[in-house]
Amino acid sequence: MKELDLLKKDWQKNTDSFEQVSEIEIYKMIHKNSSSIVKWILIISILEVLLWTGFSMIFSADDYLKKINNEGLSFTLKFFTYLNYAVIVIFIYLFYKNYIRISAIAATKQLMKDILKTRKMVQYYVWYNLGMIVFGLIMGFIIALYYNPETIILRNKVEHDPKIMAITIGILAIVTIVLFGLFWLFYRLLYGILLRRLHANYKELKKIDL
Amino acid sequence: MSENLEHSFVTQLKENQNIIHKICRLYTDCEDSHKDLFQEVTIQLWKAFPKFRGDSKFSTWAYRVALNTAITLYRKNKRSISTVEYEGRQHFIKDVDYNYEEEEQIKLMYKAVYQLNDIEKALVFMYLEDKDYREIAETLGISEVNARVKMNRIKGKLKKILNP
Repeated sequence: MKELDLLKKDWQKNTDSFEQVSEIEIYKMIHKNSSSIVKWILIISILEVLLWTGFSMIFSADDYLKKINNEGLSFTLKFFTYLNYAVIVIFIYLFYKNYIRISAIAATKQLMKDILKTRKMVQYYVWYNLGMIVFGLIMGFIIALYYNPETIILRNKVEHDPKIMAITIGILAIVTIVLFGLFWLFYRLLYGILLRRLHANYKELKKIDL
Repeated sequence: MSENLEHSFVTQLKENQNIIHKICRLYTDCEDSHKDLFQEVTIQLWKAFPKFRGDSKFSTWAYRVALNTAITLYRKNKRSISTVEYEGRQHFIKDVDYNYEEEEQIKLMYKAVYQLNDIEKALVFMYLEDKDYREIAETLGISEVNARVKMNRIKGKLKKILNP
């Protein structure tokens, strides 16, 4: 292509035309903070992990169980609590491992893959927590209705009045749907904007390599 | 020790800064963004510098980090349209004994290259820098054959942009 060769000649001829950055300026730059996408993902991810770990601790049912005093139930819930902590630790470990794997020296495609993988790992973590909270809500609801001596009046009402039963189930369903909807929106907005360019470029590279 | 490292880095970067400038020229459309990207590339290079072992040239290594930053890591702060030409670009195209027709063609070519996507720009950049297909493929993480095929397609695309 003739025009491209012409451009190449011009390109290589004009290397001295840039305004040169001095050593002092470079010194200043390396002490500044990066604003790379990886850093943003890291910050947001840490916030997510903290938020969800916090939530799962708040949702702990210890006091509640004491009141109900049912051994089988206590055991089941304790089991789930410890399982939950184990899962959190595993996730944080995986997330950290993925994060340190990200390197600007890697081939472009690999770099993108690693970033997307890290992102996905945190996303799994969030979905896991969201699932656990929905599960917890349903469990809590069942326990409240069937085991808690304080709700005996409500239990009787629900059992005998299909209308009240429908309303209580409806409320739970709405809470669940709203929770999911908010999350879906949040992720669309936050990561849609953050990762749009990366996704597009990754797709392009994958297309080339088919 | 860390001061030595810093000094060695700053000296080498200063000598090789045109690589980064060229990538900034290709991936940004105003002087502010140019400076912004230059700074981010510098930070990324510095962060990766302890892993730089000197078995490859500083420049070869810098190509990769700079391109990765421009394509993948860098977050544009402002929304901008990439086809806007800025005055800073004009001075790349001046020459003492210039041929008017040639100059026009080069200008059009620059404009055409700006219309390519990020990945295509990377290929064109390395092509203009006289890199062989092995290095282009390695940098992007695709196969050599595919890099060659893609480059031919880009040439076709550029032709189409020039003669719609």
